[in-house]
Amino acid sequence: MSDLNKLTLTQAIDGIKTKKFSAKELVSDCLTQIQKLEPTLNSFVTLNENALNESENINFSKPLAGIPIAVKDNFCTQDLRTTASSKLLENFIPQYSAYVVEKLKDAGAIIIGKTNMDSWAHGSSTETSDFGPSKNPWNPKHLPGGSSGGSAATMAADEAIVSIGSETAGSIRQPSAWCGVVGLKPTYGRVSRCGVVAMGSSMDSPGPIAKTVDDAALILSLISGHDPADATSLNKKPWQIPEALTSLKGLKIGLPKAYFPKKIKPEVKQSILNAAEKLKELGAEIIELDVMDPKYAIAVYTILQRSEVSSNLGRYTGIRYGHDRTFFGDEAKRRIMLGTYALSSGYYDAYYLKAQKVRTLIIQDFEKQFQKVDAIIGPTSPTTALPIGASAGQAMFGELEDILVEPSTLAGLPGISVPCGFADGLPIGLQIITPQLREDLSVNIARLFESNTDYHLQKPNLNCHPEQSEGSRPEAVK
Amino acid sequence: MKITPIIGLEVHVELKTDSKMFCGCNAEHFHAKPNTHTCPVCLGMPGALPVPNKKACQWCVKLGLALGCTVNEYSFFERKNYFYPDLSKSYQITQYQKPFTVNGKITVQGQEIRINRAHMEEDTGKSVHMVINGEESTLLDFNRSGVPLVEIVSEPDIVLSIQAKEYLLKIQQLIRYLGISNADIEKGSMRCEPTVNLKIEDNGKTFYTPLSEIKNVASLTGVQNAIDFEIERQTQAFKETKEVKNSKNKTTRGWDADKARTFLQREKEGSADYRYFPEPDIPPIEFTPAEIEEIRMTLPEMSEQKIEKYQTIYGLSDYDAKLLAEDQNFAAAYEALFDTEFVSKDQDTLKVFAKFAANLFLGSIKTYLNETQENIDSSKIVAKYFWDLFNSVQNKELSSSVAKQVTTESYKTGKHPVEIAKEMGLIQVSDSNQIEKIAKEVVVANPKAVQDYQKNPMSIGFLIGQLMRASGGSANPQVAKEILEKLLKNPTL
Repeated sequence: MSDLNKLTLTQAIDGIKTKKFSAKELVSDCLTQIQKLEPTLNSFVTLNENALNESENINFSKPLAGIPIAVKDNFCTQDLRTTASSKLLENFIPQYSAYVVEKLKDAGAIIIGKTNMDSWAHGSSTETSDFGPSKNPWNPKHLPGGSSGGSAATMAADEAIVSIGSETAGSIRQPSAWCGVVGLKPTYGRVSRCGVVAMGSSMDSPGPIAKTVDDAALILSLISGHDPADATSLNKKPWQIPEALTSLKGLKIGLPKAYFPKKIKPEVKQSILNAAEKLKELGAEIIELDVMDPKYAIAVYTILQRSEVSSNLGRYTGIRYGHDRTFFGDEAKRRIMLGTYALSSGYYDAYYLKAQKVRTLIIQDFEKQFQKVDAIIGPTSPTTALPIGASAGQAMFGELEDILVEPSTLAGLPGISVPCGFADGLPIGLQIITPQLREDLSVNIARLFESNTDYHLQKPNLNCHPEQSEGSRPEAVK
Repeated sequence: MKITPIIGLEVHVELKTDSKMFCGCNAEHFHAKPNTHTCPVCLGMPGALPVPNKKACQWCVKLGLALGCTVNEYSFFERKNYFYPDLSKSYQITQYQKPFTVNGKITVQGQEIRINRAHMEEDTGKSVHMVINGEESTLLDFNRSGVPLVEIVSEPDIVLSIQAKEYLLKIQQLIRYLGISNADIEKGSMRCEPTVNLKIEDNGKTFYTPLSEIKNVASLTGVQNAIDFEIERQTQAFKETKEVKNSKNKTTRGWDADKARTFLQREKEGSADYRYFPEPDIPPIEFTPAEIEEIRMTLPEMSEQKIEKYQTIYGLSDYDAKLLAEDQNFAAAYEALFDTEFVSKDQDTLKVFAKFAANLFLGSIKTYLNETQENIDSSKIVAKYFWDLFNSVQNKELSSSVAKQVTTESYKTGKHPVEIAKEMGLIQVSDSNQIEKIAKEVVVANPKAVQDYQKNPMSIGFLIGQLMRASGGSANPQVAKEILEKLLKNPTL
């Protein structure tokens, strides 16, 4: 067989279990695809050169036996270089693995490589990566989004079977939307942050980026659960995949007017309205909502996240990790400075404390909305993938791109982005937001939407753009 | 010119929990091989997260309660951001706006010293400076990084250096009573930083000199000396410069114990900006009133309570009571003497025994422990021995001084003290027939002394001495004196 890399997770698991093909063949096909496309896409920072060896000895009783998985480069992987796409950590080989990585390995998965991202997860484009930007498989002149851009690109380009990203505000959902794949951002605390290079600690949420909703759900069920090594990890059992729904009858789904800002791309707006219509056909009642203007979330998010970043990055002093602070890129420096300023004595009350208070108001606003509706939908991003270079000189690029995901992030809510259309050959994403711990609902709505549409089945034509990437090639590091 | 020192103390105490504050590493770091008690969390590796040590938090609350503090039912950790090579994360996890406990007070030599707070934090690593291959180098040891630390901050209620020392002794005693730390200043498990300035009243005007915080003081005497030095230095400085305190001239001074002086370490530009903010990695901590009460129930009987008990029930002097209660284990060993079947039911006898035993504890055992630098071993204190010894003295078989002597020996060897006295021939003879026999011999042998006695009854001492010698020291001197007097007054006997 060939092109095994194009399989979904569910198909690949089935193929290995029923011995239609071996794990080695599966990994091998993914590696072939990586070899072919990396010069163009630059989805990976580091490849695991042991992946093929690992695929030779697999335990069939494990749920992800022999499945090649691409993991964002801010997850610590023992003995495998972890850089968070920053040159500052270009020589950092962790002595321990992140909880999520441990869980995946325990489940039998093979880490095929570490995916490119915005450096330190600072951005929504991968353009801040010190290893060059990743490219959107649908059109390499465009960005994959970010910060988990590499992970999303691997899914669209079939460079792996499934992937892991992390989201502080939009970093799973936005690149998934731009790459036409499924991104599931769990409730804050549902998945342990242990071993994830910290960005905005009070919001960081690891989660899957996959080719289908089922695949994403399966991964969440395997990486969730209480981790005693993360004090903010919820004291809950691993999340269980819910029974599929056959109809959305009885469900009220909110459509906030404010999630259609003036500058929204008209095709995006139309796709979301079409999606709402589709959900209505499936039995849901669509209710227009008046929610708090998401612009407040940008302000709050910017203050809180920068403050946490300024403290989290303080440890890279130049004494350890081999490189000094001059190795921080411009975006990291900007964030450190803004956060330092916001936390300074005399400004703390005006910025950090005020932001925390507004965060409480945002949480309350969602609570109010969820008394009226079961779920909220909207565009994941107001645009489709922007061209390479779009983030240059725009310090607030990420925040403007993530305007529609930041409110739910601040409230710690789960969300999922599923493909819901195309404009000029670039994918559009529909996001579904539910109350805390109600991933079952967002997954079920997404699943039913997916099975009644074919957007997720469309694949980019990866042979039509042979031009070489400007980004550096990934290096294999043991 | 009237000068009043204003002294506040910050005390850091390392808790002796098994594991560190935010990870599972061994918290014991004294003399451990560098960087062997470390993990990604206390090394501050990327992605590592702190998980608070429940026992340490409870112990901090316990200490706060013992200091008379109020426990905040809702509290949280914060990050104190600053750069130092041995601070692994470039921030220290500590408490700022909402510490575990606040507003306490303790009484030191009759004066109340208010406690601002007792809060929970983590210790830093250590920088070790040494010359390697001819080059001055700094090495980092993270064994101490993340060891649980309680910081006790006093209000500036102290006015004398001796008071500061007494305050520290009191805190040290209290911590040792709670059994939560060795509070050893020399080994660094208790560290003190006095902040000193002066209130100067001159010609109806009041001035306050700039604050100095004194660091690296490694002994109680050092604290006292450093404060005295600083009072003198600030007095002179004020006379010369007239500089008064403002928000920008607080300085940090080091203490040089060899030269017995403080020296300028750091001039602060206003208060350092640590950019405190709530630690996002640790959810807020709540103690319910029931939980606080539960911790309060674990407080042992403290020294004040013991001192009062010793005075009222045992009839001891204030002085003896304080000495006995100084060390909890020592006091416990003493109290065990009353928790036995041999204890007298008679209140008066009990008090006599209490005083007798206190003398032995303070006179013999404590002296011995001080000489050998040992802690009391309560297994060597046998209640029966003390009661037997007491009865022997009451029966005049033993003198009090012999009792002291054999108590030390008994503590060392575990032998019964009365047996020791017998073996050493130290049993007193109070049997008047036996003594009378010897007395008669002494009278016959010393006619000159007998004549002297007739002229001067005060000279009986010589004859008593002769009698004691003849008895091998075992005669009860009181009985001997009585018999001799009887014989001498009536030579026909």
